Amino acid sequence: MKKQPKKHKQTDFSKAHQTYIKKLKKDKFVVIFFRIFVLIAFLGLWELFTHFSIIDPFFVSSPSRIINQIITLAKNGSIFTHSLITLGETLAGFAIATVLGYLIAVLLWCNEKARKIFEPYIVVLNSLPKIALGPVIILWVGAGTSAIILMCVLICIIITTMSMLSAFLSVDESKILLLKSMNANKWQILTKLVLPSAMCEFVSVLKINVGMSWVGSIMGEYLTSKAGLGYLIVYGGQIFKIDLVMASTTILCILAFLMYYLVSLIERKYRK
Amino acid sequence: MTKTNNLLTFENVNYFYQTKTAEIFALNSVNFEIEKQHFVSLVGPSGCGKTTILSLSAGLLKPSTGTILLDGESKIDTKKIGYMFQRDHLFEWRTVWKNITLGLEIQKPKNLDQKLKLAEDLLKKYDLYSFKDTKPRSLSGGMRQRVALIRTLALEPQLLLLDEPFSALDYQTRISVCDDVYQIIKSEQKTALLVTHDISEAISMSDKIIVLTSRPATVKDTIFPNLNGTTPLKKREDSQFAGLFDKIWRELTNEKTTKKA
Repeated sequence: MKKQPKKHKQTDFSKAHQTYIKKLKKDKFVVIFFRIFVLIAFLGLWELFTHFSIIDPFFVSSPSRIINQIITLAKNGSIFTHSLITLGETLAGFAIATVLGYLIAVLLWCNEKARKIFEPYIVVLNSLPKIALGPVIILWVGAGTSAIILMCVLICIIITTMSMLSAFLSVDESKILLLKSMNANKWQILTKLVLPSAMCEFVSVLKINVGMSWVGSIMGEYLTSKAGLGYLIVYGGQIFKIDLVMASTTILCILAFLMYYLVSLIERKYRK
Repeated sequence: MTKTNNLLTFENVNYFYQTKTAEIFALNSVNFEIEKQHFVSLVGPSGCGKTTILSLSAGLLKPSTGTILLDGESKIDTKKIGYMFQRDHLFEWRTVWKNITLGLEIQKPKNLDQKLKLAEDLLKKYDLYSFKDTKPRSLSGGMRQRVALIRTLALEPQLLLLDEPFSALDYQTRISVCDDVYQIIKSEQKTALLVTHDISEAISMSDKIIVLTSRPATVKDTIFPNLNGTTPLKKREDSQFAGLFDKIWRELTNEKTTKKA
């Protein structure tokens, strides 16, 4: 193995270096401090302003009301049902779109003619706001979970295909030549070179899809649903219960963050 | 017969290729031969078609007219060829060992165990065995190029095609990698065809130098350096070195100016 240089102890460093490291630590501390400070200040001011009726909590709710709302929902268990429904839809849409989009990209990589034929359609589909297809989707698969999942898939799939295809195509031509000079067939070029070199891009597609699939499922629930976080938000808006809207949004934030965090864990593992 | 001693022969090879706007005449009746275990260099003005000659030799392209014989056969068996590129093209996600056995994975030869043993021996012989399980990113530029060479040699090719394999290295590394590669190729008794821009590299490494004209390329001159010294670096100290350099330099500059005028 290549010899790693021995790690220096802090005391081995020169004075200037120690000051430099101190400065780095201080800078990091300042960033973290203000990050938390901004959140607390925002929540604090929000609470204060609504408490003293400077702004009307009927329209903007308040942190304490949101927490109370969440506690109420948790007590009767409905928060878990709604969250699980939306989470299920999101994960299903995410998985279907990622797998299908990836496979389509592989097929388009394999066949240059097909790629050229379908290119303009993909571009048009990508720029089309998928919500416009809402009524059509309901007509096709009926109102309900499948419509929501389909919406989610439609939103994620095009971007998956486009990003993966461009990653596949950006593989160094002369690396392909190297494999060809070794007598490799197309399948070997795909599995030994193209797919592994697009791994990084795949992880970032996963990250994008986390965000997009939540957009899809919530949009789907706005369109047609009897339960779920999106349903709660619409319902809360209709009965002017802004606490419910905000509570659902908060839970949504937490779930989306957790999913993103999971993907970044995968990324870290892969990058090692 | 001398023919049996030639590994690669180009006989009146012409090569055209088409673009949207024109048909390009790339090679004009190219003739040369490479004897077994010789180290031959191709030099010529940039864009003259040196890489085309390598691609033709590797069987990746077919000549428009004329014949190319590899080991006496006009159907080029790609398994007899080892191609090395400008950059090492090691796959970063594979370990050194996995990179070296890439070609074997692809070709799945019958005597796989024997070839794996050879790959292992090559790694040991050229001081890379301890890096077997490391990823290429922790290797130096010179080591990477050595790994790339072993990857090529593991397939036991008869002819090595080297497409400026040193041009991406810094000067010092380049000189020492030249020495390494030269010695490895000579000690494994391989035949090599090197394309290079670097005249001194060509002189110091080759048994024979083929000088090409601008496009459409044809063979302008053939030079046999025959310098004293066991390594390319030592050969640079030979008294004839400067004279040869000057000769090839003139031939190439003439080529450029005549085309401009």
